[in-house]
Amino acid sequence: MALKFLVVDDSVTMRRIVANSLKTIGYDAFVEAGDGREALSKLSGDGSINFIITDWNMPDVSGLDLVKSVRSNDKLCKIPILMVTTRGLKDDIVEALQAKVNNYIVKPFTPQILREKIDQILASA
Amino acid sequence: MGQQLNMEQVFQKLGDLKSFFVFGQKVVPVIQKIIDFMRDVVPLLENVNNSIHDSTSKIPKAATQIKNVTNANEIATSEILDIVDSMSLDLTKIRTELADLKNGFFSQRVALEKFGSEFKNLNGKFDALKSGMSIDELENKVTSLESIIDKIGTDSTNITISLQVQDITAQQLASVNHLIQSVQKRLSSLLFDLGKQSGVSIPEFDIDEENRDKSFNEDARYDRGHGKQELVDNIINENKKTSQEEIDKLFAR
Repeated sequence: MALKFLVVDDSVTMRRIVANSLKTIGYDAFVEAGDGREALSKLSGDGSINFIITDWNMPDVSGLDLVKSVRSNDKLCKIPILMVTTRGLKDDIVEALQAKVNNYIVKPFTPQILREKIDQILASA
Repeated sequence: MGQQLNMEQVFQKLGDLKSFFVFGQKVVPVIQKIIDFMRDVVPLLENVNNSIHDSTSKIPKAATQIKNVTNANEIATSEILDIVDSMSLDLTKIRTELADLKNGFFSQRVALEKFGSEFKNLNGKFDALKSGMSIDELENKVTSLESIIDKIGTDSTNITISLQVQDITAQQLASVNHLIQSVQKRLSSLLFDLGKQSGVSIPEFDIDEENRDKSFNEDARYDRGHGKQELVDNIINENKKTSQEEIDKLFAR
């Protein structure tokens, strides 16, 4: 199955870095969103998105709220979600897992780590 | 008798009066010191008040400057990313060209070997011809260039990783800005109360919603060590293990 990623981050720089990293590891199809609200709008408008990579700290709708919204939506709930964030405290990680993210990366990350986590998610799907 | 009693009372009162004057002599310098102190302190308090007022008025500028630093960093980072992207495209082109060169060398080698096997009696001139074309040497040079290009590719990936520092510092600066705005709000509230007491109208500060930093992680740190990611992986593995154990228990029933 061809993957189409939704890259969600309020930092333009980070969106570019995630997109570049995806290209480096062989994935070319992605769309971007600047916060959770825009992400939800893109998800409802584009049925071909089948993987979400999201930041946590974003204005309006945070990454965690996005995860909760996606998981509570019957149409979207099965989309894998990888959280990429600066938050590396144990409580944060546990909270994200409780919200049902599939995997979690702490910034700064390398393309290799990104590939590893995507592969792990796909293998367990 | 009555007169003597009256005189004793007068002397007692005079004694009290004397004590009062003695006490007064001791107290007057202290009161004088208090008055002097107040005389010194009032301008000082006014000075503090003015300083608070001045600092409060400067805080929005500091907050804006921090925001400008964040924006300038983001623009500069974006420009560096443009250059890295352009470098990556160039590297891809060079890799393709080098692969073509390698294929060309391979075809030449095959053609040469074929020529050599067809014309065996060249009295050793074939080896000289082969050596003159230096195919092996050229191939080695291409291989060496390929490894340099791979290194440049790795370096540009490392630059990209390092540029994530922009997002992390942006969150740290946003955290500082949030702190500054909180201090400004407190100082402004203090000035507002002081103004109310002295009958002077000082408008209470309200943070502009557009300038309010809404999303940041105050604990954001740029750390290229693997400690944090290992912690994440351990928690995720533990979580998976627990889930699997729960599933196994369910099936065991």
